Amino acid sequence: MLIVQILQGLMEGVFLFLIASGLTLIFGVSRIVNFAHGSFYMLGAFFTYQVHPWIAAGTPGGFFTSILVCGVLVAVVGLAFEFFFLRRVYHAEELMQLVLTLAAVLIIRDLTKFFWGLDDVTVALPDDLSGAVIIGDMFLPTYQLAMVTVGVLVLVALWAVLKFTRAGIVLRAATDDRGMVALLGINQAHVFTAVFTVGSFLAGIAGGFAAAFESVNYLLDARVIVLAFIVVVIGGLGSLYGALFAALGVGVVKSLGLLWAPRLSMVIIFLLMAVVLLFRSLRRTGE
Amino acid sequence: MAAERRRGDAWSIDWRLVAVAFVVVAVALHLSPPLVAFAIIEVLIFALYASALNLLLSYSGMVSFGHAVYFGLGAYGLAITIAKFGWPIWAGIVAGPLVSAFFGLVYGALCVQLTAIYAAMLTLACAEITFAVVFQWFDFTGGDSGISGHVPAMLGLSPAWFGIVVLVVVTLCILALWRVVHAPLGLTIRAVGENPVRAAAMGHGRKRVQLAAFVISAFLSGVAGTLYGIFHGNVFPEYVGVLFTIDGLVMVLLGGLYSFGAGIYGAIVYKLLDNVMAHYFEYWQLVIGVILVLVVLVSPAGIAGLVARVVELVRGRVRGSET
Repeated sequence: MLIVQILQGLMEGVFLFLIASGLTLIFGVSRIVNFAHGSFYMLGAFFTYQVHPWIAAGTPGGFFTSILVCGVLVAVVGLAFEFFFLRRVYHAEELMQLVLTLAAVLIIRDLTKFFWGLDDVTVALPDDLSGAVIIGDMFLPTYQLAMVTVGVLVLVALWAVLKFTRAGIVLRAATDDRGMVALLGINQAHVFTAVFTVGSFLAGIAGGFAAAFESVNYLLDARVIVLAFIVVVIGGLGSLYGALFAALGVGVVKSLGLLWAPRLSMVIIFLLMAVVLLFRSLRRTGE
Repeated sequence: MAAERRRGDAWSIDWRLVAVAFVVVAVALHLSPPLVAFAIIEVLIFALYASALNLLLSYSGMVSFGHAVYFGLGAYGLAITIAKFGWPIWAGIVAGPLVSAFFGLVYGALCVQLTAIYAAMLTLACAEITFAVVFQWFDFTGGDSGISGHVPAMLGLSPAWFGIVVLVVVTLCILALWRVVHAPLGLTIRAVGENPVRAAAMGHGRKRVQLAAFVISAFLSGVAGTLYGIFHGNVFPEYVGVLFTIDGLVMVLLGGLYSFGAGIYGAIVYKLLDNVMAHYFEYWQLVIGVILVLVVLVSPAGIAGLVARVVELVRGRVRGSET
């Protein structure tokens, strides 16, 4: 039972990482605290609900393609938001950026209500994905395994891009020292736009995957953004690998919390965050 | 001085303005039907709550993602001391804001250990933990059914007269807040908010000053929450929940950061939209979102900035006609 629960937690952790990775990349490069990330995730879920019957419905291939398509759609929304709005406030005070992303949350939420109503919508899994793999006495849903695979693929892809490509070098440099990157003649605005688009794409596909196991409604944004921020903050804002470990940790803690103290599982996670934050600040002043 | 002008404040209180506003609201309370009087009372209470939050956002360099806790604990302080401890009503009213201030002191002491978004996330953690406790500790807080019947709603007064009581308390609190912002303590709070390193060089440690601002803000939020608890004669976990936090934040941002009146203007506009538009248009939050975008792109100083501009214009014209 314990092992199953830990495994379950790790799988959820991979999923959390999918959401948090975009958030932490965006913060690392542009210092934008993007509340709209949860809204992009929710858009991904609703887009998938809308699109999946049109693309080879009922087959795993069609299902994954529609999630991918929806990720791209969400990326376009993110791109437009960055290009037309956020870009104008990079030089303003940080609170102004917060106002804009909060405004995006309100607008996207009401648009979602307008188009899809207040009730839960559900996305039916293709038959091939709705089974389970049984190892010994463990019962692992196929869909979750597929999701973990995608999560790991995303992680590997991000790692490879960051490590080996020129874009990755620029991105890492921008996270360390934005001014220096600008001095080297790289157009910061392009870097910001690119990162924001990629981040939105990641939120979009995460939402697409969630559509098949979460109850999708207009409150999805609030549920996920808090968890994503907790992961990013525990991992250290801007740190991709920090986010990975934090996501796995939070996933396991949440899953064990559900086992032992179901009513307190969110409290335990907030306590974890508070302790990590305070401990980190103590160590910093101790130096 | 330049900074002073940018914020659209003057040093001294414009007593004429306060008196006119006070009389207008008082008369409006007496002339309007009960439903409108209720709306005015709600605006007044939220103006105080948002102004208290604004002390943090605009002046101290802190962001609170959990301010509803200090609002709601005011109402809970009132309810629990009366219903569970059997205190008299006046003692409960005194206790409400003090409970908020106490939690402001404890949580604030933790939060000022951190800065920027990390501090804000810690305020969120404190708020969520508090909410969970309030929501689940049935024997003490009434759980999700809250507590009611501990005070007669509006102390048994008519809406108009209870409105006057609220008006007096809120006016006094906002005037006190004005004094704080413009007193040496307030200047120190602003200095720390604008440039903690320089303020530290002058001997003002960031943590102590920010903690002072946090406790003052929590106390005044608690006053607002206590009033709200008396107004409805009950208390529910929602009062400490995330929606009340977001309400407060949106009010301040709508009203216009870095101006004293942000909370007042924001509360008026937000509650007006909430009460009036929600009847006709289901998607009024979308309108708020669009207004916020416009605020950022067109008038970063928010409604307060617009008001200041209009006042300048009118004054300029008056002065022009005199000469």
